Amino acid sequence: MRSVSVVGIGETKIGRFPDRSLKSLILEAGSKAIDDAGIGKEDIGALFMSNYNAQSFCGQGHLGPLASEVLGLGNIPTIRVEGACASGSLAFRQALSAIASGMYDVVLVGGVEKMTHQSTEAVTAGLAGASDMEMEAALGATFPSIFAMIANRYFHEYGNVRNEMAMCAVQNHENALLNPDAQMQKRITVEQVINGFPIASPFTIYDCSLISDGAAFVVLAATDVAKSICRKRLVEVVGSGHAGDTLTLASKGSMTTFAATVLAAKQAYSMAGIMSAQIDLAEVHDCFTITQIINTEDLGLFAKGKGAAAVAEGKTAINGQIPINVSGGLKAKGHPIGATGLCQIYEIVTQLRGDAGVRQLKKADIGLTHNIGGTAATCVVSIFRGR
Amino acid sequence: MKRCGTIYSFCVVHSSTEVFQSKTPYVLAVVEYNRKKLMARVEGYSEKMDIAVGMEVSFLAEDEKGNPIYMFD
Repeated sequence: MRSVSVVGIGETKIGRFPDRSLKSLILEAGSKAIDDAGIGKEDIGALFMSNYNAQSFCGQGHLGPLASEVLGLGNIPTIRVEGACASGSLAFRQALSAIASGMYDVVLVGGVEKMTHQSTEAVTAGLAGASDMEMEAALGATFPSIFAMIANRYFHEYGNVRNEMAMCAVQNHENALLNPDAQMQKRITVEQVINGFPIASPFTIYDCSLISDGAAFVVLAATDVAKSICRKRLVEVVGSGHAGDTLTLASKGSMTTFAATVLAAKQAYSMAGIMSAQIDLAEVHDCFTITQIINTEDLGLFAKGKGAAAVAEGKTAINGQIPINVSGGLKAKGHPIGATGLCQIYEIVTQLRGDAGVRQLKKADIGLTHNIGGTAATCVVSIFRGR
Repeated sequence: MKRCGTIYSFCVVHSSTEVFQSKTPYVLAVVEYNRKKLMARVEGYSEKMDIAVGMEVSFLAEDEKGNPIYMFD
């Protein structure tokens, strides 16, 4: 397998832009990534385009050619990749393997979602399509309710971590204050989180990630090619893992350990030849506050049942032992579904390059992204190393 | 004979999709019956109720998709 590196990144601000079109979001983020890479459009061999549900939210399908036309990429092959909330990192992994195999030298990966022009009920229903429509959504299950059941089971097995969940939200909001691309620019308190508008017990509105519009793009190149074009610190993709699990919650072996995360992480660590303790920072899929705690445990960053205490002890803070979601995460940077996995990669590459401005970490040499789709039914873990 | 299941996990849904709005707040649970876990709705919830993992609930009916509906005793 050929080594692959990131040579360009671009994203829009994440937020509520009901008047912006899919095309406008794609044009901005795609152009930024291509400019950042310093390559010509003719250098791009293929486009892997991630999107979850523009078909339902916007009535628009066939996102590959749509994005290719907007960006002026001519007749290159395009494909749309969908894996619910993990679509972005799935597209990234497909692009990675296409370069690693020798099929292409330079590939563009993009992700976009546009949701805020729809009502919250319509978005919730559109998202519920990533669960089982007959065995879950038909009963009245929504994603917040499914993860609320995970939280209550976690309380039963490991103790009540309601306060620590709230601290995750508080911390991610604090981090977002330092990120100009973040949707949420508001400091909150633990009391506000706990007493917020109830969604599905124990979650209030502050335990849930945001409904967002946005796009993010990444240019990948074979490392030998990247060395000759990259003007910034080269960021090599040293590890990649992808695993799956059942679609439904009730059929999973465990509700409090996500098997897909454990397996994807194992693959990624093994490919990178590193241990979890060597990770300097991680962007993990905090679709809900409890999910962030479970993810950090499943990734081996903390022992099982100790993820919540780690948050309370400040270990996951921007100045902590292993900063988690320095970008603000899905909770406060935002969750434009199809773009989310690429937004995570955007943050890691920015940190590894030393370009993160006021939120720049002192030591950022090895970073990890963790992205799940549905009820942890799809998981992609990627590990990056600055050269 | 009364068929009882055991709550494996649960939540009270306050914010739902449009179709279920008239039912809120309602209880969703993963209920274990005969060593098999299935998602179910549990009817008869009132706000004073303390729901807990391990609680027994009685089988009421199946919905049109064949999903179990239970009720609190």
